[in-house]
Amino acid sequence: MRKQIRSSAVGTTPQSTWDLEELMERLGGDQDFLRELLVMFRQDARINLDKSLVAIGTGDYERLSRTAHTLKGMLRNLSMGTAAEKAAALETASQEKRQGDSRQLLDELVKELEGILPDVEAHLAGAKP
Amino acid sequence: MRILVAEDDAISRTLLERTLQRAGYSVIAVENGAQAVAELVKQDAPRLALLDWVMPEMDGVEVCREMRRRKEQAYKYLILLSSRESKGDIVAGLESGADDYLTKPFDLDELKARLRTGHRILELEDHLVEARESMRFQATHDLLTSLWNRGVIVELMSHEIMRSRRERSCTAVMMCDIDHFKSVNDQFGHAIGDDVLREVARRLHNSVRSYDMVGRYGGEEFLVALNKCDPGSAVSRAENLRTLIGGRPVQTANKPVSVTISIGLALSTEFTECTIEELMHEADMALYAAKAAGRNCVRVAQPAGIRSHVEEQPKETQILMP
Repeated sequence: MRKQIRSSAVGTTPQSTWDLEELMERLGGDQDFLRELLVMFRQDARINLDKSLVAIGTGDYERLSRTAHTLKGMLRNLSMGTAAEKAAALETASQEKRQGDSRQLLDELVKELEGILPDVEAHLAGAKP
Repeated sequence: MRILVAEDDAISRTLLERTLQRAGYSVIAVENGAQAVAELVKQDAPRLALLDWVMPEMDGVEVCREMRRRKEQAYKYLILLSSRESKGDIVAGLESGADDYLTKPFDLDELKARLRTGHRILELEDHLVEARESMRFQATHDLLTSLWNRGVIVELMSHEIMRSRRERSCTAVMMCDIDHFKSVNDQFGHAIGDDVLREVARRLHNSVRSYDMVGRYGGEEFLVALNKCDPGSAVSRAENLRTLIGGRPVQTANKPVSVTISIGLALSTEFTECTIEELMHEADMALYAAKAAGRNCVRVAQPAGIRSHVEEQPKETQILMP
């Protein structure tokens, strides 16, 4: 059975998961490579979340769809399944210009990432999450 | 093998790059579709490419369309890699010209298997191209000497003469024949005769300019066309070819064999109303004259009514009077 990290950070959704075991299997157990990817993720996730917040604020659904798509890709690649599903749903909602759904899904995605990012930071700091 | 990875997301790109490097690939990674096309059209471009669908500037589907529109010489095997996984997306991706479609996140074993399929297709394509080129060569070249064969040299010469008439330049047509070749075959055997034919062909081919043409007309006859030729120097160039063959023996598998050639020369500027067939006939008649004059010499065809030059020519080269 896979080991999944369930975040315990305050304010996160109970479904916040990061399948680190599956990710490590795909990376061939390369810890250095994992760190390299997580450093990229820490930066790129925040940049794309900021872009998404700006896009929904200005009603730019095309941009919102693009950033949701990018987030979906990186989250899937890092085995962050639940967050990836939220990003996928946001991509669809923004493509269909569903304002209310887009706003709600973006909020859920932000919460999901807020649950994962401390685990990422902990991993980068060398502590076992 | 080299592979191009086009992916705008840094994490996906790095993950793919590292995974492929571990699998033994040499990876070129780019961030958008425009960069992908720029890489794929380079002279030594990778033949295999993994393209993300959603990318800035030009997406993966547009890259596929652009590459198929360009019809590059060497076929490129394009794999679309996307998180779009609906049946409609897969069909649209393949319709754009992609050879395969993979959904993200990729499974390593599946990715490797798909890439191996790409290798097989590219190898098959290479073999087909090789076979086609081989057939094309065989259809256009003489198998013994590798010179143009009769059909092709006549056709090329025909085009060249039409061009030279349009441009008011001169094409020199030379019909060359190895003297007493039958006795070479009779005396030394056909294998030595073939060695002689190959060497004469090689010397003729190596002595003309890249834009001149040499072909095997038949048996021991060769056709040479000197394009954009100075009419005043055509005879001396024919003399050069003659001495090039007769000047030193041919080193065959068994022993050196000395041969000479006779040349009949016709200039397109002297026969402006003639067809290619008529011009070749004039060169052929000049060749007969060279044979009649004792062989190992050059004879020049002249239109009827021009006889005054005959006595001015050196012994080896005389103008043929019709």
